[in-house]
Amino acid sequence: MGAPALILFLAFYLYPALQNLQFATRRWDGITEPENVGFRNFTNLLTNDDLFYKTLGNNIEFTFLVVIFQTALALLFAVYLVKNTKTTIALRTLYFFPTILSSVSVGMIWLFLYDPNFGAINLFFKSIGLPSFALNWLGSETSALYAIAFTQVWFHTGQMMVVYIAGLQQIPKELYEAAEVDGASRWKQFTKVTWPMALPTTLVVMAYTTIQSFRAFDLIMVMTNSTAGPNNSTSIFSTLVYFTLFNELRLGYAAAQTIFMVLTLIAITWLQRRAFSGRYEK
Amino acid sequence: MMKTQGNKSFSARRLGAVAAVAFAIVATTLPSALAAGEVLGKACTLEGVSTGTSSKSLVCVAGSSGKLTWQKVRLGSSIGAPIAEITPPQGSIEFWHYRPEDKATFEKIIANYEAKYPGTKITQVVKTTTDYNATARVQILANPKAALFASARGSIFNDFVKSGLTADLSNERFVKRNLVAKGLTAGTVDGKVLGVPYHYLFNNPVYNTELWAKEKWSIPKNLTGWVSWCKDAKAKGYVPLAWPGATRGQAAQISNSALMNSAADYNTLSDNLADLNSGKIDLTSTWFKGVADIYVKLRNAGCFPDNPTGVTEAAAYNLFATGKSPILPTGTFSMGSIKALSPALTGKMQLMSMVLTDGKVVAEGIMNNTFNLSVNAKANPIDQRIAKSFLSYLATGPVAAIYSVATTQHLNVLDIDYSANVDLLNTSSFQGKNTMLAPRFLILNTSVSDLTQDALIQIVGGKSPDDVLPDFSKQIKQKLAG
Repeated sequence: MGAPALILFLAFYLYPALQNLQFATRRWDGITEPENVGFRNFTNLLTNDDLFYKTLGNNIEFTFLVVIFQTALALLFAVYLVKNTKTTIALRTLYFFPTILSSVSVGMIWLFLYDPNFGAINLFFKSIGLPSFALNWLGSETSALYAIAFTQVWFHTGQMMVVYIAGLQQIPKELYEAAEVDGASRWKQFTKVTWPMALPTTLVVMAYTTIQSFRAFDLIMVMTNSTAGPNNSTSIFSTLVYFTLFNELRLGYAAAQTIFMVLTLIAITWLQRRAFSGRYEK
Repeated sequence: MMKTQGNKSFSARRLGAVAAVAFAIVATTLPSALAAGEVLGKACTLEGVSTGTSSKSLVCVAGSSGKLTWQKVRLGSSIGAPIAEITPPQGSIEFWHYRPEDKATFEKIIANYEAKYPGTKITQVVKTTTDYNATARVQILANPKAALFASARGSIFNDFVKSGLTADLSNERFVKRNLVAKGLTAGTVDGKVLGVPYHYLFNNPVYNTELWAKEKWSIPKNLTGWVSWCKDAKAKGYVPLAWPGATRGQAAQISNSALMNSAADYNTLSDNLADLNSGKIDLTSTWFKGVADIYVKLRNAGCFPDNPTGVTEAAAYNLFATGKSPILPTGTFSMGSIKALSPALTGKMQLMSMVLTDGKVVAEGIMNNTFNLSVNAKANPIDQRIAKSFLSYLATGPVAAIYSVATTQHLNVLDIDYSANVDLLNTSSFQGKNTMLAPRFLILNTSVSDLTQDALIQIVGGKSPDDVLPDFSKQIKQKLAG
């Protein structure tokens, strides 16, 4: 029964993964004959590549920001919109709307909004007398990553809100009724009932958001005009691998980078599960 | 009788009017250096200056005695007038390119071609430049139907060549007879024509003639002049240069002007760039520090927009098209987009020399042959023949004129009549100037090229060359070491 699934797994997951390991030990431009270089790609990456460490830092910071804010906002919206009324359904639709847009469209919209001289955001700040808040959002090393992280949160919060709503609707009403009888405030109800009961959903949301953050490639490419930001300030693993592969034609080196990308992703997901699993099991 | 006289009188008037218009066009479009005296065999003063790129154009050349005279020189690489296109077999191919703004014009040309050759079909696959440069080569490698494709001169074209995708077109008759031989250099590798550079661009700043006349400005002649002009323009409320710092490819155009007079001569400059490409020298070299210093002086004079590193190509075009900026420092290839944004600017744009040195002037401006059209060597022979046929069709004067006029591009094709596009006519004068083949494309390594431009962009953004140049040199070194 499991044979077809096993064949598919071997053909489309295990074999490419093993082949990637093999590529990582080669120096190859995809055109000429590959040269076996052993672990040189890995040592080079770890000892002589500042961009790699910058990317690692960017990726962790970007993921951290997006996971924290996207999860918190999604939960907040879900808590307020969990009941099915006309207003909540309309608001859910509104918040979910960005999710149905293509990432290129979202990137273009925010590229215009963030324009330092013509963009609506800076025009707004200037019009209310706060010109110091009108920044060079995407053109500055210090703000570009945060500006894109904000867009990523705007883009996907609605989607995670729907996941939360589905999870919150599974919480037995009796728990809230019992808490009300005990005189628990709404905050107490949230901390003692909603949050613990929503932990399994939170884990799913956080894991999915983490993976989404690693795949923010399209948004970053559009919003930085395919440059990974000023002085690579928005370079994350997916853009780094892309530029190494397609711009520099270094297939072996890109393969080595993907291995570190996967290891980082596994480490972050493991840490998240470890942080929550104890409480979840209780 | 009266009627005949009346007709004659009317015809004479009409003839006179036509002659006057023709004279006006010729007088306003001839390069200033060629305003008079360009007669076969007569003396001329500036060697190498030509009257255009027609098969009947004259060029100023030195004879055996050293005397400069106007001579009819062969612009193609073989004797003979331009020829008609190759007749294609039936079938279908894809034509891949990176100019979405030209899609409609190519559609029109393709429709004419398909009507002329029923059973032959060309489908355009169009991507944005950035997307194309990053993905097209890999996709074309896996798609032999992409029988005709474009690539930008320099590292991108070089990558296509290295991939074995470019068929040798050296022996095609249309290549020898329909194209300007000098312009083929950008598509020639080891003596083989592997790409036909279709565009003959001028990567020089475009200026708004109306604004310049209103402000009574004259074009600065050196770096000191540019610094003064920027200060004046800024004081009058303009953004002196509509520089798109967020779009690397366009932001880099001005680097051609900064580079062109940065060394004693073209050979020294090309050696410097080759050394930069190979890692023999880095961005902290005295020569490159001089280039960076030009950017610092322009930045400090207020030449660039506010928040320059965040200004996208669209925003820069907007600055120029709305008259907020008197100069768009990109090139002739932007004029079509500007006219689409502001039709009122039709006929009010002109090219300028941007001499950014106070020392010796090696060149007055930049030209570039790009949009290299190549036939896919991995396509099947029939598809290759269709691709060659369509390419030869594009290389005929009348067809090239359709493209040229509609897209506001000068082309590397002989015998194009530019008179239907006033902006092309106005800027044709640059064909007679002392221009240099765009030097920035001599950096063939994409990473080195990108990092070099990024370093200059960071300097415009406000950073000190003392911080930026060592930092980016280190990044280049690490890229080259990998």
